[in-house]
Amino acid sequence: MAPPSQSYKSPSPSQPSGKGEVSDLKLQLRQLAGSRAPGTDDSKRDLFKKVISYMTVGIDVSSLFSEMVMCSATSDIVLKKMCYLYVGNYAKGNPDLALLTINFLQKDCRDEDPMIRGLALRSLCSLRVANLVEYLVGPLGSGLKDSSGYVRMVAAVGALKLYHISAATCVDADFPSMLKSLMLHDSDSQVVANCLSALQEIWSLEASSSEEASKEREALLSKPVIYYLLNRFKDFNEWAQCLVLDLVSKYVPSDSSDIFDIMNLLEDRLQHANGAVVLATVKVFLHMTLSMTDVHQQVYERIKAPLLTLVSSGSQEQSYAVLSHLHLLVMRAPMLFSSDYKHFYCQYNEPSHVKKLKLDMLTAVANENNTYEIVTELCEYVANVDVAIARESVRAVGKIALQQYDVNAIVDRLLQFLEMEKGYVTAEALVLVKDLLRKYPQWSQDCIAVVGNISSRNVQEPKAKAALIWMLGEYCQDMNDAPYVLENLIENWDDEHSAEVRLHLLTAVLKCFLKRPPETQKALGAALAAGLSDSHQDVHDRALLYYRLLQYNVSVADRVVNPPKQAVSVFTDTQNSEIKDRIFDEFNSLSVVYQKPSYMFTDKEHRGPFEFSEETGGLSVGVESVENIAQIVDANDKDLLLGTSEEEESRGTSSDGSAYSAPAYDSASISLTSSHAQSEPVISNPSLPTYSAQTSLAIDDLLGLSLSSSTTSVPPPPPLKLNAKAVIDPGTFQRKWGQLPIALTQECSISPQGAAALNSPQVLLQHMQGQSIHCIASGGKAPNFKFFFFAQNAEASASFFLVECIINTSSSKAQIKVKADDQSTADAFWNLFQLALTRFGSP
Amino acid sequence: MLQCIFLISDSGEVILEKQLTGHKVDRSICGWFWEQSISQGDSLPPVITSPTHYLFKVVREGITFLACTQAEMPPLMAIEFLSRVADVLTDYLDALNEDLIKDNFVIVYELLDEMIDNGFPLTTEPNILKDMIAPPNIVSKVLSAVTGTSSNVSNILPGATGSSVPWRTTDLKHSSNEVYVDLVEEMDATISREGRLVKCETYGEVQVNSYLSGVPDLTLSFANPSVLSDVRFHPCVRFRPWESHQILSFVPPDGLFKLMSYRVKMLKNVPVYVKPQLSSDNGVCRINVMVGIRNDPGKTMDSISVHFQLPSCVASAEMNSNHGTVNILANKTCSWSIGRIPKDKAPSMTGTLVLDTGMERLHVFPTFQVGFKIMGIALSGLQIDKLETKNLPSNPYKGFRALTRAGVFEVRS
Repeated sequence: MAPPSQSYKSPSPSQPSGKGEVSDLKLQLRQLAGSRAPGTDDSKRDLFKKVISYMTVGIDVSSLFSEMVMCSATSDIVLKKMCYLYVGNYAKGNPDLALLTINFLQKDCRDEDPMIRGLALRSLCSLRVANLVEYLVGPLGSGLKDSSGYVRMVAAVGALKLYHISAATCVDADFPSMLKSLMLHDSDSQVVANCLSALQEIWSLEASSSEEASKEREALLSKPVIYYLLNRFKDFNEWAQCLVLDLVSKYVPSDSSDIFDIMNLLEDRLQHANGAVVLATVKVFLHMTLSMTDVHQQVYERIKAPLLTLVSSGSQEQSYAVLSHLHLLVMRAPMLFSSDYKHFYCQYNEPSHVKKLKLDMLTAVANENNTYEIVTELCEYVANVDVAIARESVRAVGKIALQQYDVNAIVDRLLQFLEMEKGYVTAEALVLVKDLLRKYPQWSQDCIAVVGNISSRNVQEPKAKAALIWMLGEYCQDMNDAPYVLENLIENWDDEHSAEVRLHLLTAVLKCFLKRPPETQKALGAALAAGLSDSHQDVHDRALLYYRLLQYNVSVADRVVNPPKQAVSVFTDTQNSEIKDRIFDEFNSLSVVYQKPSYMFTDKEHRGPFEFSEETGGLSVGVESVENIAQIVDANDKDLLLGTSEEEESRGTSSDGSAYSAPAYDSASISLTSSHAQSEPVISNPSLPTYSAQTSLAIDDLLGLSLSSSTTSVPPPPPLKLNAKAVIDPGTFQRKWGQLPIALTQECSISPQGAAALNSPQVLLQHMQGQSIHCIASGGKAPNFKFFFFAQNAEASASFFLVECIINTSSSKAQIKVKADDQSTADAFWNLFQLALTRFGSP
Repeated sequence: MLQCIFLISDSGEVILEKQLTGHKVDRSICGWFWEQSISQGDSLPPVITSPTHYLFKVVREGITFLACTQAEMPPLMAIEFLSRVADVLTDYLDALNEDLIKDNFVIVYELLDEMIDNGFPLTTEPNILKDMIAPPNIVSKVLSAVTGTSSNVSNILPGATGSSVPWRTTDLKHSSNEVYVDLVEEMDATISREGRLVKCETYGEVQVNSYLSGVPDLTLSFANPSVLSDVRFHPCVRFRPWESHQILSFVPPDGLFKLMSYRVKMLKNVPVYVKPQLSSDNGVCRINVMVGIRNDPGKTMDSISVHFQLPSCVASAEMNSNHGTVNILANKTCSWSIGRIPKDKAPSMTGTLVLDTGMERLHVFPTFQVGFKIMGIALSGLQIDKLETKNLPSNPYKGFRALTRAGVFEVRS
């Protein structure tokens, strides 16, 4: 038979249209299947190649399955390999057809050539079809006893694959104990390594259900096993060494001589060409010596050079991974690296993620001796083309200044930045000068002289603008035109989009007023008027607070707004030390690169080294986390709502008890808070006692406010009261939640104390119940919680409020969706809810 | 525990996909990755998070090696492994590009199959791999054309897997016994605008190219090992002799390999000076760069070049030089290739940069990257003392060379 494939010799197929060509291939394969003519293998090879190349570019060639299997009877090993590859790829999707392959794979498992035995066994185990596991046990069992190390090595991994398809089959066939004896006695080091990795995985997964397995898992960490592996250490290849090192890093040495023995044995691994080995060794050293402070320090000294070499010798990708680990160590013990600061100098064309790490480290290692040089270097980067890095550099200079080394020179530098005529540099520098002044008020003269020259028109970024305004308010006595600058800014109140800036503007103008009343009086009036009609809650509230303060007593206002300030001694670190310790424990893992302990970015099921998830959207790092978690939670909504009715019942009794003791008090406090939240119209409410109206008129006059006329026309809505004993059954809740439109979607912060206290959902439930807001369902684990609350309007029993509240305790943020029967009261309810939530955690 | 490896071309096309565990990774992740890669360019870190997986990427010759996992694992292990995959492929295919991979994808699959199983790396040692899978070299192509058998898989299993020198096959025979030792150094330096040496360090490698029969035992010693700040060794180097006498004792792999890499810090001298001067007013910046030899290393300096990126606020530029050629490329880089420095004059480049309208002066100053090559000398001062061979039937031919290049050599202005 003439090989028909010869007309098809295009070396790399362009994306073929699909169907037609696949059915062509099918025909040709059929023709070849039974042929025994010489040269058949070559034609087959060409066809197989084509099939695989289609598979590689993503065309579905699964319809060729039976033809491929028919063609697989061959002695050519390359053909076999291609066939194995094909079968491995499509067997899972075609479990019925996969049965066809079992026969020839099993036959190959008994081949004379160990290479073919190994390959066949590997392919057999990679089929991953659950109903074929019975065919795996036999070949695996003989594979583990094979005379060739290659086959045993494949079989060890095969046993693990079997475990993942069907754990029971693997355990019943007694493979774990066979693996164990191989691990302890096999002469081939790769077999030992594969057994170790398989056993680690199997026993950690079994440990939760079987006590024996958890004992076995611990036995892996026992001294005899560790010593056995370490004694054979040099036989292992570099990747197996990584595996053993990882195991050793979990081993708890019995005494210090134990530690020194291990460290002596492993010391030369720090000079290994493979960075992964070096880093795994570093982890062993660091973790073993944690309890011995002196030795731990020496370890730092010892590992420093290898790590720095790794950074400078490897490719960009390797450098970055090592640098992330170095970053962690530098942050833990900056003084040990203070003489190596030059290694952290940035190079011009390094990618910005590398530069950022280096800037962090430069900032950390600054001390009395090197500050001058480091700051000089940082100033070079401020002129950098990369705007983000220029900004980071200014911030780094500021941070070093706040660490109080050589502040003198640094302040000069920062002030030079202000004069650099680059918008972003000026902006960053302004923020820093503000922080500096809070810490070193003695520098105010120098700084103010420069800051006074900056035109507020040139500052656009909200943070910088806020900083400038703060300084204008704080140092208005030293800056002649401060009131007029502020007045200008207030004139453009409506164009100012940032609430932060508006808040600062209010405060600054009041401070200025209290020091220089005649010049600022007009500006203050305009600011308060604008603030009171501001749509932003906080701005409005602050304007109102100032207004009332002034109304009450100007000197009290002065004491509240302009108290003598104490210099800030230490700005709190953004990342707490507990988190840093967690990351350190997870040295040589992704946590280090992300600078977060793994619980913050992996779901629980991913945290173990071995479990994967099939679902998408399971992982989350940083910004994406909120969204993702919301998705997950949404997906679980149904279960959550249905599953909580029992809980609800059990909690019902306790809520009855509390309602019995304090219902009156509750509703009183609620009505108080609600009237506060509704307070805008109260200022000019005619029903208020006359003295308040009079003083308010007087101060209105002084400040030129015309609130009375503008607001009396709006009748105040009655304050909202909530029913302390509201009840709703889960079914109704679910129905309402489905029917009602979302009245409000809001985000608010909860207090840090609250976030800290929120270690289980129950804590918040009790707190909210005290505010007559009840919970119907809750769930989640730190740091993400989800709650469904409801409340009932005390005056209108048919009017319920339903709330979905997602809280992330690590960012102290809550996302809230409110639905209400009566939409008009939704805002009032939101005020109550927000108040209740923000109070959570405060004493 | 890698779950999947993708090879992606420089146009974002998936060249190859290798699933490693039962948890199949959909290739749509490559689309996601490619979007990120386009939007973030160079600033995309090598370790990132997609909505479903953690991704590791290594880019070599325009080919992206992308690995995915969902479990926590040492990131450097993934990156090292991908780098090895790239090295092994380059070694097998003699180069690395999309067409080569596509033409040889069966070999690439075979290699990946032996290099990693169930997500855990097995062996990346080229010598062992070559025993199992023959490279697609000309000899085997000719052989297959002549004999008609084109299997590139040897039927014997590597003998070295269980041996104590896994990097070397046991029964090697070469008709001519030769060994070459090269010192290759790269000098990294940063020089401030005042001409002060901000930082200077040299990274070097001892590269050995060995064609020796049997199992030879070599000893390499240096005249001045004390200059080395830190060293890293190929697994074949025995640790104790280095520890006690700073002697490299080893059984070499066959062919070219990196015996040792080292770092020498705190160097005080650089072989070349580059003096940029910039002055700007009225929206025009005049630029003048002088280059010359400083601290003559005693050997000819070659391939001298100066590159810099024009600041983005430059509207147009005109550059000239009295020696060599100056090119301004479309991406606003200016490159001046000088070659050797002539005896009679000092090379200089002058030019004017016209700034965007409204800009008075230049605020962002360019950094000049300098390139050079010096044959015959290792600037760190490291010198090879002698190379002794044992276990060889006849005395082999030994060759030594040294070379210093500019690594990241920057001059600020």
